[in-house]
Amino acid sequence: MTIADSKTESAVMIPSRPSRSSVFMALTALLFFMALLSLAIGPTGISLHALPRALAAYLGYTSDSAAERDRLVLIDLRLPRTLLAAFVGAALATSGAMMQGLFRNPLADPGLIGVSSGAALAAIATIVLGHGIAAPLVAPLGIYALPLAAFVGGLITTIILVAIAGRHGQLAVGTLLLAGIAVGALAGSISGFIAYASDDRELRDLTLWSMGSLSGASWQKVFAVTPFAIAIGFVIPRLTRGLNGFLLGEAEAMHLGIDTEQIKRLTIATTAAAVGAAVAVAGVIGFVGLVVPHVMRLISGPDNRIVLPGSALLGATLVMVADMIARMAVRPAELPIGVVLALIGAPVFLHLVLRRGMGGWE
Amino acid sequence: MRMTTRFLISAGAAFLLATVPFVSREAFAADAPAAASTPRVLSIGGDITEILYDLGQQDKIVAVDTTSQYPADALKDKKSVGYMRALSAEGVLSVNPTLIIASDEAGPPEVVNALKSSGVRYITIEDKPTADGVSAKVRHVGNLLGADDAAQALAAKIESEFATLKAARKEIKTRKKVLFILAIQNGRATVAGAGTAADSIMQLAGADNAAVGVSGYKPVSDEQLTEFAPDAVIVMRRGESDQHKAGQALTLAGLRQSPAAKTDKLIEMDGLYLLGFGPRAPSAARDLMKSIYPEAGQAAAMP
Amino acid sequence: MLEARHVTVRRGPKVLVADASLSIVPGKLTAIIGPNGAGKSTLLRVMAGELRPSDGAVSLDGRDIRDIPVARLATRRSVVPQSTNLSFPFTVLEVVMLGATVPGFGIKDPEAAAAARDALAAVGLRTLENRMLHELSGGERQRVHIARALCQLHTAPRGPGETAALLLDEPTASLDLKHQDGVLTVVKEQSQSGRAVMLVIHDLNLAAAFADEVVLMADGRIVGQGTPDDVLNEDLLSHTFGCRLRIEASGDGRRLVLPEAIARRARTGAATG
Repeated sequence: MTIADSKTESAVMIPSRPSRSSVFMALTALLFFMALLSLAIGPTGISLHALPRALAAYLGYTSDSAAERDRLVLIDLRLPRTLLAAFVGAALATSGAMMQGLFRNPLADPGLIGVSSGAALAAIATIVLGHGIAAPLVAPLGIYALPLAAFVGGLITTIILVAIAGRHGQLAVGTLLLAGIAVGALAGSISGFIAYASDDRELRDLTLWSMGSLSGASWQKVFAVTPFAIAIGFVIPRLTRGLNGFLLGEAEAMHLGIDTEQIKRLTIATTAAAVGAAVAVAGVIGFVGLVVPHVMRLISGPDNRIVLPGSALLGATLVMVADMIARMAVRPAELPIGVVLALIGAPVFLHLVLRRGMGGWE
Repeated sequence: MRMTTRFLISAGAAFLLATVPFVSREAFAADAPAAASTPRVLSIGGDITEILYDLGQQDKIVAVDTTSQYPADALKDKKSVGYMRALSAEGVLSVNPTLIIASDEAGPPEVVNALKSSGVRYITIEDKPTADGVSAKVRHVGNLLGADDAAQALAAKIESEFATLKAARKEIKTRKKVLFILAIQNGRATVAGAGTAADSIMQLAGADNAAVGVSGYKPVSDEQLTEFAPDAVIVMRRGESDQHKAGQALTLAGLRQSPAAKTDKLIEMDGLYLLGFGPRAPSAARDLMKSIYPEAGQAAAMP
Repeated sequence: MLEARHVTVRRGPKVLVADASLSIVPGKLTAIIGPNGAGKSTLLRVMAGELRPSDGAVSLDGRDIRDIPVARLATRRSVVPQSTNLSFPFTVLEVVMLGATVPGFGIKDPEAAAAARDALAAVGLRTLENRMLHELSGGERQRVHIARALCQLHTAPRGPGETAALLLDEPTASLDLKHQDGVLTVVKEQSQSGRAVMLVIHDLNLAAAFADEVVLMADGRIVGQGTPDDVLNEDLLSHTFGCRLRIEASGDGRRLVLPEAIARRARTGAATG
């Protein structure tokens, strides 16, 4: 015996969700296209048809000065920059999606676990104290001091946070959120204190760093972040179903057989590492972690099996586009990429939300 | 397997399709590559740009940075590569320089490294805010452009001006204490301590730095200001709108009782002029000295 | 099949459940009744493996559930909680399909969708499968979660002879009267088809009508256990619930539990009316 079907009050249109494979194909194609565009566009006007010449110079077949210049621009400057932009975008967007799944809130972003504040604190300390108190530590590291410090700083704040929230053996998500806000505020205030003691030049440096930039892209940085990129790719499939279950609630996820502790720890560890690495190589870049997963959900629904990998692809594309604008809009000068992302992203996002509605988050 | 193959094929097709527009087109036209004979100079640093103009080499400049504010033509006529500590490697290369003359403050370090290894001649000019430093800078820059004679003449002029200034300093009977205020925010003043360009120019003008115990540019408390008790206060002028702000300096709680406030001794000078330690440095020091010691004006008179 | 032995749950100074022993068995529907704060939901959560007891243990087929990996446990029992908060726009079908999400199930989407549709049909919501969950009424949402729990049990790979348990916490709480009977009928069918069903419910009459075994709890203790006839006696109930209750015989031989005041009023009304 079945229960008679009820009539519900409001008639709503049936949501049409595009198929997973078509979304992936579209996003990947878009990513490829943007990567090529990013490689092809730059203030010097050198474009892709110079690529063979550049490769020849790189491989040592020629030392013609024009070829050398092509090699410098395409292979030493633009290519690492494109790759780094892709990594930063993927890392931030995926972390945002993971955080939103973990905290079950579409407004969560990676900053909630204090990574960005910790990284910023370490970076500011390096910039301001690097010539003074911290010189013996900073000087030998040269140009690696800042990225290394940012990365370590992010990791340390997250470790502190996990220690606070995991005191009773289980990681309490509610505690994590509140403690994250507190730790972030603390890091922020210490940063402010250090910034206050900075001189004019240091203050400018640290302000610029806080606006983010990919102009310091180099192959060393690309190699440094490659393990993180691989790690993200490895972790995503392991988290999708778990985070889906998590969306019903931690208890429900457990009932569905999901190892919630493992999901929580893996999510936090991956976010800390990915965001730490991204901030280390590009400075503070906001907005991506919050908005890209949002857009993914507007496109294809909240299933993490699409949202997680899709965010990686879309985030990479977005940051590449922003970087192109950053380096072309006021050439031969450059805009900070964080500013560009906010300028182009915010209106687009607003438009999307107003057009398609909030999708039911009340 | 079918889905993966479909996926790979479409990705590959997209990739190939995407290359078409780019393989056949020059994306954005940049400056023409350099002809061998005419040097194309990129000047990074306001003092360096000033020297180049003074040596009559301005036509060789293709681009400057945003601190190159004197002469006013520099930023008007020349392309700008942005703030000197936030350079873009490809942006710099796109102006096709054959010679980059940069202050040692140029950054970020990765970009400087990239430029140094780009095959373009990159010369770093050390910024020594001393009298000798200025003439050394002038000679160095002149040498780079093959304008040794003009450079020698300019350097000699600068040295003689500094010598006159030195003599004038000796005439000063009682040295005054001067405080340089870089900025005031929320009622808090950032002052110049030891090791700053402001400190150097003050010494050249024959004054003592009132900010004892401070090194670099640091914010100080009202109590410290009271201790400093300067005879004169220097602030930077940044255009007409700044008149009001500059006047605030003497009303700061810590300075109200100072000799400077009592004699209303507030000196406003243009930032680059005063601190750039370019060719105008001796006259900046002289002007400063005149403002601090109006009675010693005659001795410091220069042609 | 699923047995709690001397389970005690303490939170700080408070004792939520004290020395509770209870077992649920395939083919039987066990209803847990009692006043608010009696520890019914807590006991259910302990038996679901969600809460660790401070003392005592829960075992599944003789094995302590703490030693059973979570994913394994999910193949043997599913839970319908009192309320679920979902802040993302899933469709009804997608929510039910989450029941087939268990790691190791290895279910492909089409299979999961088919199982989800069957489960939705069982609770009478097939036509709403493409609606957004948040657009449904509270009662409908509850039925969706029941469907999800059914889907989980249905798709779970179990060995031969391995039975499954369904645990529900107040499933009729926000349901219209017309649906309460229907939902419980579905739940009863589950128990009749060989599943062990544990039901926390506050409506005594529904418990009496559907349960094979009734467990009465008060202040964390089990104060009565047995068939509905055994447990539903006036003195025990009145004492436990703290007010005079009457057991009336209804026309068709069923028994009704009513607060005395209401019973009296109904009688006088009937007499004068």
